[in-house]
Amino acid sequence: MRKVKFTQTNFHEKLSTIIEEFPRLDDIHPFYGDLLHVLYNKDHYKLALGQINTARNLISKIAKDYVKLLKYGDSLYRCKALKVAALGRMCTVTKRIGPSLAYLDQIRQHMARLPSIDPNTRTILICGYPNVGKSSFINKITRADVDVQPYAFTTKSLFVGHTDYKYLRYQVIDTPGILDRPFEDRNIIEMCSITALAHLRAAVLFFLDISGSCGYTIAQQSALFHSIKSLFMNKPLIIVCNKTDLQSLEGISEDDKNLVEEMKSEAMKTLIGQGGEPREGAEVLLTMSTLTEQGVIAVKNAACERLLDQRVEIKMKSKKINDCLNRFHVAVPKPRDQKERPPCIPQAVLEAKAKEAEKEKKRLEKDIEEENGGAGVYSASLKKHYLLAHDEWKEDNMPEILDGHNVYDFVDPDILQRLEELEKEEGLLQDQEDDEVEMDVEDLTPQQQKELAEIRKKKSLLIREHRIKKSTAESRPIVPRKFDKDKRFTSERMGRQLSSLGLDPSKAIERVRSKSRGRKRDRSTDHDMDVDNDGSNKKMRARSLSRSRSRPPTNELVPGEGFKDSAQKIKAFKLGKKSVQKRNKDAKKGVDDDHDLRRGWPVMTEVWMNVGGIKKIRVYDFESYFLFGRFHVCFILVSCYTFLNLWIFSDNYEMIFGFISQSSGVLSFSCLLFFLVKFELHKYESHFKLQARLQPNMKWALQNRRKT
Amino acid sequence: MRLEKCWFCSSTIYPGHGIQFVRNDAKIFRFCRSKCHKNFKMKRNPRKVKWTKAYRRLHGKDMTQDATFEFERKRNRPERYDRNLTENTLKAIKTIDKVKFRREETHHKNRMKGKVAKERKEARKELDQQIHMLVAPGAMVKDTSAAKVTVKVQHESTDENRMEE
Repeated sequence: MRKVKFTQTNFHEKLSTIIEEFPRLDDIHPFYGDLLHVLYNKDHYKLALGQINTARNLISKIAKDYVKLLKYGDSLYRCKALKVAALGRMCTVTKRIGPSLAYLDQIRQHMARLPSIDPNTRTILICGYPNVGKSSFINKITRADVDVQPYAFTTKSLFVGHTDYKYLRYQVIDTPGILDRPFEDRNIIEMCSITALAHLRAAVLFFLDISGSCGYTIAQQSALFHSIKSLFMNKPLIIVCNKTDLQSLEGISEDDKNLVEEMKSEAMKTLIGQGGEPREGAEVLLTMSTLTEQGVIAVKNAACERLLDQRVEIKMKSKKINDCLNRFHVAVPKPRDQKERPPCIPQAVLEAKAKEAEKEKKRLEKDIEEENGGAGVYSASLKKHYLLAHDEWKEDNMPEILDGHNVYDFVDPDILQRLEELEKEEGLLQDQEDDEVEMDVEDLTPQQQKELAEIRKKKSLLIREHRIKKSTAESRPIVPRKFDKDKRFTSERMGRQLSSLGLDPSKAIERVRSKSRGRKRDRSTDHDMDVDNDGSNKKMRARSLSRSRSRPPTNELVPGEGFKDSAQKIKAFKLGKKSVQKRNKDAKKGVDDDHDLRRGWPVMTEVWMNVGGIKKIRVYDFESYFLFGRFHVCFILVSCYTFLNLWIFSDNYEMIFGFISQSSGVLSFSCLLFFLVKFELHKYESHFKLQARLQPNMKWALQNRRKT
Repeated sequence: MRLEKCWFCSSTIYPGHGIQFVRNDAKIFRFCRSKCHKNFKMKRNPRKVKWTKAYRRLHGKDMTQDATFEFERKRNRPERYDRNLTENTLKAIKTIDKVKFRREETHHKNRMKGKVAKERKEARKELDQQIHMLVAPGAMVKDTSAAKVTVKVQHESTDENRMEE
């Protein structure tokens, strides 16, 4: 149960995180919402998320159902089967939402790479035809590194750069080029820039390629301008003529000039609409060349200025401004008189500075090092400044170790004197040495030495044998003399050993031989039915091996065991065997688990019910009971009856008809019985208190669940 | 560079050998090899471990007090370098070593003084007492008694014969 629940929680968690982490298109800034819609279809996106949500709910439901079912599992095998089923269903659900998950993953990866554009801060938007020089411009004024290539649509998405003006940060957004097409025909890339234009409150720089090297004439570009000028509402607009190095503004044809004038007038309109102060027309139309960097800064400054003015205007008009104004105050000291007051530097500092300049440099160790080849080559002699009695000792290498002693430990100013004393002492000691002490005890003779050696050898042998016997006695049992394959216990050997010790072995051998049994064959031939040889027979009997005690049959009562009768003994043995049986902990299929539950056949099961105390009675599952027990008995009876009748009255047709009517009557009677039995058992149901818990029948359990 | 002494076995530790262990009370234990280190970790007392110098000195196997040990002492105050002094020191080290070695030998000889006599005594005793490993006691007794009996009979018969005559 725990496993099912755990899997369900896991799934739930993961899917919930997915659902929550993906932004809801309605909750985010409309610019982002539109951008996402442009890039990934909004409907598709919502659909995918919805699918995941349903999957999550489905899994929860599955888990709940199966957990409830598991509570009624009677055998371990059944529980395991249920668990497997639950997990399997959850997995299939997950598999079904696989494609949506893949789609969402792709979206996620793409979204992660979208540029971070703050819709509320100062923004400058660059738009125009493809290849006019927008990306080069942004490369020039910001640190952005956008691809600049000769082919159109190099820029495929929005790029952000940042630039500064008057200590303020401005976002500069580079858009992909827009072509002059009706709105519906636009592709995703163009839609990106359109979205940006539509939603971001920014200053717009419309780029115009004067030279026409982008592949489009001024006419086309101005047509584009007019088609999207609706997007320029309330935005400070500046028209920038780029690529003036190739073609200057003055050099273009009349028609083109007219078109440009038209655009300029449009731009002026926005300027006027903005706030009133109509400045020179130059503010609206600017020329530059990104290649020669001529006029780039001017364009940027103009754009930033315009934007700033607009924002300030708006802020001034809002209500918040009054709160802010009170806090601004710049204090400037008013000049009292015309006296000049330069900064004050003390005289000493000036003098010291002058001195430092003229001081000569000392020759340092560093300089010496550099002269002699640098750091790796020259190593300075640290002993240069030693103070010693004689200068030639400076470079001496004194040994620190000699013969396993530290020389420093022996160094002593009066070592010589002490050494002399030591030598004197040593001399005295040597004189005092005694000669060798005389031995009081004499050595053994060679014969004795030989004997001693032999004794020691024998002793060591005994000790060794004893040690071997001691060590192996625990791990290996000692083989008894009966199986003496090394022939260590023969009488000859004994005789030899005794004689080597100097004793006469004959008597000992005789005694030993008389006590042994001898071989079987010899026995039978020597002592065949001889009554006279009583002594030997007696000996035989006295030495005969006792028969092995064979076990009595299991059921037979042996008095010493403590059983009342053989039946009790049998029962005891049975119980003993049962207790040793292995429990089915591996959840393998048992006898009861063989039934196919899906068909709904009722199972004939026995339930041991505790009826007051120790005694247990066997009660059958009431449903299966009447279905198997009595019903089948009736059926069998009836069938037997019919067959019997048929057999008896086979030739007589009349009787057959009579019999058929009879049998039908019997059948109906049996049905009556059948129902009676059912009702009867219903009566007994409450008596036996067969509760839901005791019902192992799965079908019943399912039905019961639905009721609750 | 200094040659240190192993804390456990008191042998010299040459550079590049052994392990130093610094205890929390800042006492430094130097070991010449892992054998000593492991014995230390087992908390064995070097005075009870037979093969260490500490044990040998304690139980009188090695020389304990001697004038030659006074020469080698760790001096904490450095001396100014003097070439003559250094030469003398180096020569002195050699002679001191020789003297020390000779004295150790005498010490050892004195220790082993009564060994031979003792061994011989023991051998004699063993021979007397353990002779039964070679010759059974029964066999030995029989021989001697038989010899005695024969001698006696001879003696009596000669006397009797003489008396009869």
